[in-house]
Amino acid sequence: MDQNKTHELTMKEFENIFNRLYESLCLIANKYVNDLALSEDIVQDVFIKAWENKVPFKNKNKIEGFFYTAVKNKSLDFLRSKYAKDVETYSSEDLETLQTESYFLREAVIIEASSLVERALELLPDKCAEAMRLSIESYTNKEIADEMDISVNTVKDHKKVAYKKLRKMSGYLGIT
Amino acid sequence: MDNSDKIKPLSEKIVTSLLKDETSIDLDTFNTLTEDDKKHILFSVTNKNKREERLQLKNKLNKQKAWKAIIGSEKQSNTKRKMIYWYSGIAASIILLLSITLLSNKNDELINTAIVAENNIVIGTDKAILTLEDGSEVRLEKGQIYQANNITSNGEEIIYLLARQADHTEARTKEIAYNTLTVPRGGQFQIKLSDGTKVWLNSESQLKYPVVFNGLETRKVELVYGEAYFDVSSSTLHNGTKFKVYNQSQEVEVLGTEFNIKAYKDEANIYTTLVEGKVVVNYQDKKQSLEPNQQLNLNIQNNNINITKIDNTYKEVSWKKGEFNFKNKTLKGIMKTLSRWYDMEVIFENKNAEDKIFTISFQKSFSIEEILSSIKYANSINDYNIKGKTLTIK
Repeated sequence: MDQNKTHELTMKEFENIFNRLYESLCLIANKYVNDLALSEDIVQDVFIKAWENKVPFKNKNKIEGFFYTAVKNKSLDFLRSKYAKDVETYSSEDLETLQTESYFLREAVIIEASSLVERALELLPDKCAEAMRLSIESYTNKEIADEMDISVNTVKDHKKVAYKKLRKMSGYLGIT
Repeated sequence: MDNSDKIKPLSEKIVTSLLKDETSIDLDTFNTLTEDDKKHILFSVTNKNKREERLQLKNKLNKQKAWKAIIGSEKQSNTKRKMIYWYSGIAASIILLLSITLLSNKNDELINTAIVAENNIVIGTDKAILTLEDGSEVRLEKGQIYQANNITSNGEEIIYLLARQADHTEARTKEIAYNTLTVPRGGQFQIKLSDGTKVWLNSESQLKYPVVFNGLETRKVELVYGEAYFDVSSSTLHNGTKFKVYNQSQEVEVLGTEFNIKAYKDEANIYTTLVEGKVVVNYQDKKQSLEPNQQLNLNIQNNNINITKIDNTYKEVSWKKGEFNFKNKTLKGIMKTLSRWYDMEVIFENKNAEDKIFTISFQKSFSIEEILSSIKYANSINDYNIKGKTLTIK
């Protein structure tokens, strides 16, 4: 993709973005409207508009931001609309908090980072992934060894394999 | 950079640190976040219960259905989509993805009940005939398993073992052996060639290809007739060798990409649609390159070409995903396509109906009567009648 000119997405790229972001975007919408079916409608509507309007992207790094922002705005529009007479029935937070940029950034990063972790672990062999999962959950090597019923050295081996694989895959994941 | 631009770098930074098992994660550069926010983020990403909460929510989502709703709803003219969808549950039920737009004159006559004498028109299925290099034929059918030297089929797809370097060398010294896959009317099939290229074949189509490609020369296959979708294995994996698809009137040259060719014997045009990547179409002595979302239409009588932009290539090639999508097509054209999948003959008793224009989509698993009754319901045909394998439009 040429980084210098705006880029109109092909159908295939659009489908890839959908596959990568759909679930995460539903989760962020749900953080606002606290209703999963409604969240799905919001996200679908954002994708439909993005496709119909052929939104051009200056560069690939803006894509996540665009979709997260669009979903946030649409969710807030809903909460402010007459359809949601009583925001409290939708969300545990008050509208003031939900409208802050820091709430948005915090929740979006949680969801996006978690989704990257899941995608990375999916690329690893089962045992490796399990060791890494426990490691992320702050288990020490000793605790992982006990939990998985293997030796500490095997845990270290699993981790080594994981680092090696993930370094190779980092381009694919968009991790630099 | 505004906040939304920070989502990606911040997430990537956190994940990289987590995966590298770094004890402390330095988020100081992201000063828009308070210390509490940073703690909250790290806790939520790494906490087991939080993770399970997210997974549970994700499991309730229906991604496939969502994609269909997105792609199916494309352009409902300029009428603004109302907020009706807030009342959940309405989310596009895809039982009948039917949006019929009638552009021609309406017929207000009462609808009679269709006469269906003896309906032998059945829905198409996975089937094909494989012709081996010695001329012998193998029938491949849904539910039937076939296995030979380097070929396996589960009845829906035929797979050629990925060729090793040694096979290439051998292929270079020997004459190349060709197999042919023929999909009859009422059939569809998939094939994975020995270089990893995937091809979807539509009803009434024939593909001729080498059992093993000569490792150093251009990979060549022939779409003898019919329609095929190609997902070509990149030339970087094959010593840079190009991939070419021949047929009677043109040749498509590719490096690694996805595209569709429609070249039926009973149609005056060959349609080449590029979904992804880049291809060059050679016809007579001329060359024409295509960009994604472009369709080249070659008239085989006068060799004139015409390039159009396709807004939604998904619809153009949806046949390989089990759907028919027709956009502003004449009933005659639609029936031609349907006659291949349902293996039927269509007679227009009412010639006026031939040129009526429709936008319609439905699953390939629908019976012919389900489709016809919707068309009839839209008042666009008076009636129809099925006898044996013949459909008569009245």
